Amino acid sequence: MTTSIVPQLIVSGAMMGLIYALVAYGFQLTYATSRSINFGQGELVMVSAFFSLTLTKLGLPYWLMIPGGLLFGVVLGLFVERAAVRLALEQKSEGWVLLTIIMGLFFFSAAENIWGRDDQPFPTPITSDALHVLGISITPLEISVAVGVFTIMGLIELFKRTTLLGKAFEAVSVDRDAAELMGISTTHTVMLSYGLSGLSAAVAGILVSPITTVGPTMASVLVLKAFSVAVVAGLDSGFGVVLVGLFLGSLESLTSYYVGSGWREAPGLVLLILALAVRPTGVFGKAVIRKV
Amino acid sequence: MKRLFVAMALVGLLAVQAFAADTIKIAITGPFTGGSAPMGASMRDGAKVAIAEINAAGGVQVGNRKMKFEVIERDDEAKNERGSLIAQELASMSDLSGVIGTVNTGVCLAGDKHLKEKGITKIITPAAGSASMTQWSKAGVKDLSIFRFAAHDGIQSGMVVEEAINRKFTKVAILYDSTNYGVSGRDDLLNQIKAQGNKLEVVANEKFNIGDKDMTAQLVRARSGGAQAILIWGIGPELAAVANGMAKLGMKEPLIGGWPLSMSNYIDNAGKNGNGTLMPQTFIEEPITPRAKKFIEAYHKAYNVTRIPSPVSAAQGYDAVYIFAAAVKQAKSSDTHKIKEALEDLREPVPGVIAIWQKPFSKWDPANEETHEAFRRAQVVMGMVKDGHVVFGNDADRQRLTKSAAAPKRK
Repeated sequence: MTTSIVPQLIVSGAMMGLIYALVAYGFQLTYATSRSINFGQGELVMVSAFFSLTLTKLGLPYWLMIPGGLLFGVVLGLFVERAAVRLALEQKSEGWVLLTIIMGLFFFSAAENIWGRDDQPFPTPITSDALHVLGISITPLEISVAVGVFTIMGLIELFKRTTLLGKAFEAVSVDRDAAELMGISTTHTVMLSYGLSGLSAAVAGILVSPITTVGPTMASVLVLKAFSVAVVAGLDSGFGVVLVGLFLGSLESLTSYYVGSGWREAPGLVLLILALAVRPTGVFGKAVIRKV
Repeated sequence: MKRLFVAMALVGLLAVQAFAADTIKIAITGPFTGGSAPMGASMRDGAKVAIAEINAAGGVQVGNRKMKFEVIERDDEAKNERGSLIAQELASMSDLSGVIGTVNTGVCLAGDKHLKEKGITKIITPAAGSASMTQWSKAGVKDLSIFRFAAHDGIQSGMVVEEAINRKFTKVAILYDSTNYGVSGRDDLLNQIKAQGNKLEVVANEKFNIGDKDMTAQLVRARSGGAQAILIWGIGPELAAVANGMAKLGMKEPLIGGWPLSMSNYIDNAGKNGNGTLMPQTFIEEPITPRAKKFIEAYHKAYNVTRIPSPVSAAQGYDAVYIFAAAVKQAKSSDTHKIKEALEDLREPVPGVIAIWQKPFSKWDPANEETHEAFRRAQVVMGMVKDGHVVFGNDADRQRLTKSAAAPKRK
């Protein structure tokens, strides 16, 4: 039994880490195309989760609710882009920072008024009865989170690498101006990235809700961790985000066990400070040389 | 000109007071939204059931006339700073007769000093953290208008430790959340283990934060230490995360802890993993006495529910109002200072749903907080979660309560 402690801690922590990574991935998507981040990403996760919960309560079966929830996430992402980001980018201002924060606060208040402030359970057909594999306990629910995270990230990365639209996406993230000269509409690409970012937020919301319960503050802890992950990993690499997420989650879990549960939050913060002090572009980031 | 203003202001004030004197203004405060809402809202709703009954009967007999209750509701959202603001607002009301409520110990610590300064009578219910009363004894306060109507953590932690010892356990783990309530509960548990003869060895002493979802590290530490039971002190949905985490790790050890384990958000979010959880309760939602039956039915009907979100809070809110009303009647006044005097020396027994209250409070003695604490061990029972409801943990308690309803006696 004692031999399985470390793997158990790593696996459980890594599951939480994957959720941080999925939220961080939402930051990475929009940053790649537009050098902007939706600071209200956590609220998108929360609102999408609430919306999906409502669909379920209306009697929609789980598998039909998912596309509805995802579509809602995409629409929200597009809405944020149009309302908070586009004009700021056109004017080359940093106004999107404040606007996305405000948008987040707006979603938060809206959720409180529409759905109330209580934490609600999120029904799911996936059982939370534990499986025991090689001395490690893991629930199918946790496995579904892992599968979901890898599927959605894999699909988006595949899309970026193999389709024409995806190539445009990549082109814009490498060099906006050059891409524009090649006839790629940066506006549309940025829209696309925000749509995908909203999609990943909705996936995160639907996947984690059965574990975290749904409430207006459900994402506030997640999003802070996701920021750490995004900064430590660097905002250029999707898979870097996953690796750092897994690492941070496991580290938290191990610290909690070996150092003491009061120190759980410490490794994330130490990593963040280290990253900013030693490698501001992130572990997987590329140092950008701007030619003028 | 200035004099005219002063005169006008005085007349105005008198007019307001004359108008207000027709009702007994009582404030109900607590978290009606957020993680602690099941307790806050149930307390409020239970209190309002009592107030509706009293008002429907014409009100409280105050001297030679009857006065009705007028309720002021304030939502503190379980936030200390909101609680402090609300207490300041209430303390500035000249015609307030009293305050009932507060769920969160931190909110008591932040707000009650404002009420105490003005000598406004407050009955704390259902906040159970020891600190909300010991803050006054530690400061050596001579005269106190704050009373508590809840099984304080001293009683509850004593029962939790007692239960573990009765079950012949020798090794336990303590888990607590990082709120004022959780930390002071951990201290109470450690003190009680010492007081009850050091029969339990604490193999893990673990903290978790509000919002934490993954409790694996804490639980694995408990398990590898060989804990036979988890003693837990926490207040929110994180408790459910602990129960679910235990199920995941295949841990079958019983979860014993403070009364928030009876809250609907624990029971619902833990589902079947919550079965068997034990916690001290002052009221079990079972119609074992006629008065309990009447109360449960009235509550279900008034709020259109089949289960009270937090039966303990609702019953305490209900009984607190009746005790307050008895004090108003005895004081023959809606003046908050006179009500306080009456509360310290209630001459007539007050029949409630939890017990028949005989002299629940006495004159405040800074050397002994129990003077302003209504509950003793005898009024508290062990509850157990079973299929979404809280039932009696020990059948002996159930029989004792059924009997005592016939012949009330207070230890």
